[in-house]
Amino acid sequence: MSTLLIKDLHVSVGEKEILKGINLEMKTGEIHAIMGPNGNGKSTLLSAIMGHPKYTVTSGSIMLDEQNVLNMSVDERSRAGLFLGMQYPQEIPGVTNSDFLKAAMNARLEKPISLFKFIRTLDKNIEELNMDENLAHRYLNEGFSGGEKKRNEILQMKLLKPQFALLDEIDSGLDVDALRVVSEAINSMRSDDFACVMVSHYERMFELVKPTHVHVLVNGQIVMSGGYELVEKIDQQGYEWIKELGIEMKEEEEKRPIILESCGKKESLKNE
Amino acid sequence: MNNFELTSSYYVIFKNQECIQSSLPDGVSYRDHHLVFQNKKPIEIQTIFVLNQDVEFSIEYTFEKNTDVSIIETKILEDHAIFNKKMNLKEQAIVHIFNENSSISNDTTQCHEEVYLQRDAVCQCGYAELSDSSIKGEYLYYLDGENADVKVRMAILSREKENKYFKILIQHNQPHTYGQMDNYGVVKDQGHLVIDGIGTITKGQHGSASHQTNKIMVFDQDCIASANPYLFIDDFDVKASHAAGVGKMDEEHLYYLQSRGLTKKQAMQLITYGYLKPVIEVIDNEMLKERFETVLSKVGA
Repeated sequence: MSTLLIKDLHVSVGEKEILKGINLEMKTGEIHAIMGPNGNGKSTLLSAIMGHPKYTVTSGSIMLDEQNVLNMSVDERSRAGLFLGMQYPQEIPGVTNSDFLKAAMNARLEKPISLFKFIRTLDKNIEELNMDENLAHRYLNEGFSGGEKKRNEILQMKLLKPQFALLDEIDSGLDVDALRVVSEAINSMRSDDFACVMVSHYERMFELVKPTHVHVLVNGQIVMSGGYELVEKIDQQGYEWIKELGIEMKEEEEKRPIILESCGKKESLKNE
Repeated sequence: MNNFELTSSYYVIFKNQECIQSSLPDGVSYRDHHLVFQNKKPIEIQTIFVLNQDVEFSIEYTFEKNTDVSIIETKILEDHAIFNKKMNLKEQAIVHIFNENSSISNDTTQCHEEVYLQRDAVCQCGYAELSDSSIKGEYLYYLDGENADVKVRMAILSREKENKYFKILIQHNQPHTYGQMDNYGVVKDQGHLVIDGIGTITKGQHGSASHQTNKIMVFDQDCIASANPYLFIDDFDVKASHAAGVGKMDEEHLYYLQSRGLTKKQAMQLITYGYLKPVIEVIDNEMLKERFETVLSKVGA
């Protein structure tokens, strides 16, 4: 069993502090759901765990068992067992899926995988995920629909077999059938050696992949943790009730005076 | 030193002014620095040029009407060597050339090529300019017959203190001619690279199209790179486009690949390979792909 332990994590982008002291403990075998209004730091948390260069950890710690994750490069984190299924996967022209996937699999093997075994594994997973059979020869995510990109993230997760998978809105852009395929794939990975952290806005996702732990992230902090009942409550009531508990919520868009042509003119003058 | 591999059954090898070895199929002849192709069936042939220091060498290829030829060409030039090539494509000739520069030199080498296409001739040319040498290359294509069609692709790597300059010209001298060039470069260390892409459509050549893309990816602070597109159009009824850019490797691309466990070096190599790879698609040959990959492994070094 492995543990990913996050203590008092503060993360900034430039001058702006986004995460303001996150505490979270995850063990393999568990499925964690992170919910919260837009712009409150959910994606930042997952990206900071993976080590995106844009995010600076100003204080706190992330430990994977005995290993200090914050001292590791992005690729070391991946090889140590972390995986981030991204909200907006990159399109990389000229790099075929098969060259990329083979390189990624070999990165964690002592002896490179045989071509035969690679093709067999890839074909099996492509079929299970109901993906385009030409996928191997297509360029990485280039010209993929939103749903195809997300399925490609899941494909990578299945091939790389991480201990901790962080899935950032993996359900956005998926139609009903694709959502079922993706959730089946995640469920098939559930084991004592696998943990998953899912960020999603929709109850449907958590209905299909039942989380063992649910956290609500507001204004850079986890303000509440519980079980599946939290998902249901948020689905029915939104986040308004959290405000009533005296928790300050960050609105994603800042309100600014409108400056438009003639109609907006009066509004903008009022604000001057 | 042999810096080439013979993989085709037909080949011709030159050292300085001499043809030192050859195996030519029916319909192909060589005499006095002139290769003439009259083959009835499509053929693939390898041509290899080894020029020692200060040697200047010229060769001419003529592709007769309706010939179909694929050429894998290797150039190995030493300091100050000058390589001149002229190609004539007669009506409906189809020529695919993969042109690999394997020179190792401390000082500049020069390549000058002129290609003339008659009516309905098609020429696709890929240049892999990944050599450890400085070079001044001029590749000039003239579309002298209606419906002549040329596509040029270049993959260039300039690293350490190499200085590479390329001028690629496609000139439309007849109506309904098509020209396209895609020149991709990578510059590392203190490398220096200038690409001048020139599309010229002379007066009266209506219905012609001239397209070009010039892109350079720079890796280090001391790189010097410049991608210059030129279009000289003297007719109204034409299509023309150009794109040019010099920039860094996309950090988000690197992050994405690294997040899957690839080291930075592996990620850079994969991205560069993908970026320069279109050049090998000119000829369908497994050997070329392997060689290209091996040569590119020095990118991450």
